[in-house]
Amino acid sequence: MKDLKKIYGSDILAVDGISFAVNKGEIFGFLGPNGAGKSTTIKILTTLIGKTSGTATIDGLDIDKDQAAVRRIIGYSSQEVGVDDDLTARENLMLQCRFHHMDKQKAKQKVDELLKVVKLTEAADRRLSTYSGGMRKRLDLASSLVSDPKVLFLDEPTTGLDPQSRLDIWEYVKQLNRQGITIFLTTQYMEEADRLADRLCIVDQGKIVAEGTPTELKSKIGADIITLRFKADDLTACQKAVDAISGLQGVKEMGTCTVGLAKDSGLTIMTQNGAAMIPQVVRAVDNAGVSLEQLTLSAPTLDEVFLKLTGKTLNVVERKQAVKGRGFRRRRRET
Amino acid sequence: MRMEWGSEVAAIFGRWNTKLLRQPIFIFFSLIQPLVWFLLFTQAFSAIGSLPNFEELTGTSSYTTYFTAAVIIQTIASSALQAGIGLVNDLDSGFMDKMRVAPISKSSILFGKLFSDAITIMIQVVIILVIGLALNVHVASGLLGWVMILIISALFGIAWSGISLFVALTTKSAQTTLSVGLLTTFPLLFLSAAVLPVELLPSWVQQVANLNPFTYIAIAYQKLIIVGFDWTAIWQCLVAIFIIGAISLTASVIVFRRKIS
Repeated sequence: MKDLKKIYGSDILAVDGISFAVNKGEIFGFLGPNGAGKSTTIKILTTLIGKTSGTATIDGLDIDKDQAAVRRIIGYSSQEVGVDDDLTARENLMLQCRFHHMDKQKAKQKVDELLKVVKLTEAADRRLSTYSGGMRKRLDLASSLVSDPKVLFLDEPTTGLDPQSRLDIWEYVKQLNRQGITIFLTTQYMEEADRLADRLCIVDQGKIVAEGTPTELKSKIGADIITLRFKADDLTACQKAVDAISGLQGVKEMGTCTVGLAKDSGLTIMTQNGAAMIPQVVRAVDNAGVSLEQLTLSAPTLDEVFLKLTGKTLNVVERKQAVKGRGFRRRRRET
Repeated sequence: MRMEWGSEVAAIFGRWNTKLLRQPIFIFFSLIQPLVWFLLFTQAFSAIGSLPNFEELTGTSSYTTYFTAAVIIQTIASSALQAGIGLVNDLDSGFMDKMRVAPISKSSILFGKLFSDAITIMIQVVIILVIGLALNVHVASGLLGWVMILIISALFGIAWSGISLFVALTTKSAQTTLSVGLLTTFPLLFLSAAVLPVELLPSWVQQVANLNPFTYIAIAYQKLIIVGFDWTAIWQCLVAIFIIGAISLTASVIVFRRKIS
């Protein structure tokens, strides 16, 4: 049980009795909207803030009693991107090495190696004030790796980044995981959790609402989704189709007919085995004399899981300030 | 662990010094206002130097010479504010969290910063004394006097920075830290021997001035600049600095530790 992490925090509002275990070597995701308690949880686990009650261990070490030892085996990359803008990338990393009491020779080697990993070797001696958000985030990631952590904590690693930088970060995270680092990450992006996490918790208002692999969670919806669209958005045709299909075996749930330009207009059918149902659906519709404009089959996404579990959509409002510099320079970069 | 503490402080001290070298303008920010006073205020009020008893009490008839101590104190107080503001910036940027998850001691984060501020302050005081030469202010105690002035300045700077660290860590706001600093500096300066000899102040102000640490620091500087080494004044000044420092630094370290666990 050495690889077990647990937390029963209860920080009245922020984290309300959360328990989970992360296995060694996996990427564990914490998915939820802003204010769900993700950052609070990560800050408790990284010994940055105290907890009201509960216990947590990382690699067998108690986060309270063995605080110093915990700090030696974890790496942490905060949402705010903790790098110093007045220093160069190399200086930032060297500083982190000194914080970990590394000797100079070893530190130099380590820094070169990390710069290569995050592809910043060429920009290594430039001050960070000239860096883009993605570069800063990559450096931040590198700086959380100087101590060869066993467990890496990433708090919303791609919030505020452009799509390309996001893909880069995902690649590094996977690469690090392949090297054996256990990764705990929080995110508000479904896609990120889906792509990266081996297992994940969906959190909302300080509570875990679901836990499992992305596939398990999606199968909780228990259905594939068939969407039908009708020629000229014909409502009567749609109604006829509803009548024809509702008799079919295997249809779990049906939406109502909607027309218009919206993406979800038309008729949605939830069914156990989508691929097998398609011929039956087509036949039934054809027999009813209705002609189709379009038929699509899709697997449920984590968005639908979240919607089903919390009754809310996980609408992500891009927070531009998430990757930022300090003071007056911050504003300039945003424009 | 002691050995490690030294290298941690050195790492953080080095970081702030590099930052200072990259943004040397920060050396001048806290100097500007005191220098304006040094150049203009002393000219406008030069008549103070010819008040009856002024020369007897102070040893000089030049108000500019007398006022040099006030310029140094004001610069140090204003510079010490930067300690707290630097810390607030680190809190905002997330750099503080990075340092806090690293296996280093909390106090080294504070002392690395304080020692670097002491360097800034010594540079500033040298600039003031050099400008003083141009204004015909000569340090009577000579080269050793300069060294003594720098030592007092560094110690006073560290002790006074403790106050801004405390305010910064308690409020986590640069704005509040700045306001508290500005609101305390001027009254303390004017209710001390820095601007006028205590004997020339109204009696209620004299009472305040006698309790005001700025008085003892100002007198030590004034003696070194006008008269020479006056060990009584220097000891009283060091005791005042020690009391401020013991309180402000202990309070900062306690708040800093508490904010974490």
